[in-house]
Amino acid sequence: MPAVQSVHLTGLTVFLATMVILDLRLAGFGNRESSLSGLARQLKPWRTGGVTLVILSGLLIFLATPDKYLGSHPFQSKMALLCCAILFHFVVLRRFIASEPVSRPRRINVMVACLSLTLWFSVGWAGRAIAFIP
Amino acid sequence: MVPPATSLFDWCQWLQNTRLATTINESIWLFPLIEGSHILALPISVGMIVMFDLRLLGFATGSKVTNEFLRWSRFGFAVMLITGVFLFITQAGKAYGNPFFRTKLLFLLVLAINAAVYQLIFYPKTAQWDLAGKTPAGARFCAGLSLIIWIGVIVCGRTMAYEF
Repeated sequence: MPAVQSVHLTGLTVFLATMVILDLRLAGFGNRESSLSGLARQLKPWRTGGVTLVILSGLLIFLATPDKYLGSHPFQSKMALLCCAILFHFVVLRRFIASEPVSRPRRINVMVACLSLTLWFSVGWAGRAIAFIP
Repeated sequence: MVPPATSLFDWCQWLQNTRLATTINESIWLFPLIEGSHILALPISVGMIVMFDLRLLGFATGSKVTNEFLRWSRFGFAVMLITGVFLFITQAGKAYGNPFFRTKLLFLLVLAINAAVYQLIFYPKTAQWDLAGKTPAGARFCAGLSLIIWIGVIVCGRTMAYEF
């Protein structure tokens, strides 16, 4: 189990790093010479690679003791938050990444970036809470 | 309280019994908060370094963008170091003999030396190899080593908790 947990954390590290980079860039931090959509394209293999590792290892962890997780409140919250994060990513963030941030008022970009990061990190916090809260 | 001067193990035991350590251990939310912050700072510290290493190895985006990753990673590292020290204090006696904890420290030492080598030898010439469009083999070696050992640090960090 420590091995699968380690894969889960390594995947999370890579996946969330790419999300942090994209969201920071969307919020107007960092190098503006490269286009946001170009950056997203370059990071894509690492984003999908990371998230694949997280999902596969997560599925293994879940299947080892499904009853423990199904009865856990933090786990239920984690899944709900995960659905929100995925939905937000495909419905909102994707559109914001496809076009350049300068075409919109900055506060909207900052808001979307903050929401995206808050959602993804909440999934992580809910996951951590599984170990502490029944 | 005065720390004992007898052995490193005694010192760890002493640390684990300090007021600070027992306060964190006895609080229902303090320990989870510190541990959660330690883990969720991973993408901002190790994640940024991994992306930087990948770019040195030729797998990711250009150097102007990636130098920012290292700047952002400093913030993540501050969180890592502070929360890591607190976590150690609360478990010092148990961590002392833990093989995974010892390996983790050894890995961190290797990473520090590796980063110093990169900064001193390769970093000053970044502009040159950017123009040449080719990363020196030595710099790529540093990146590969960093990538592998950082993953080792994550594995050791996660596994050591199973021994407590």
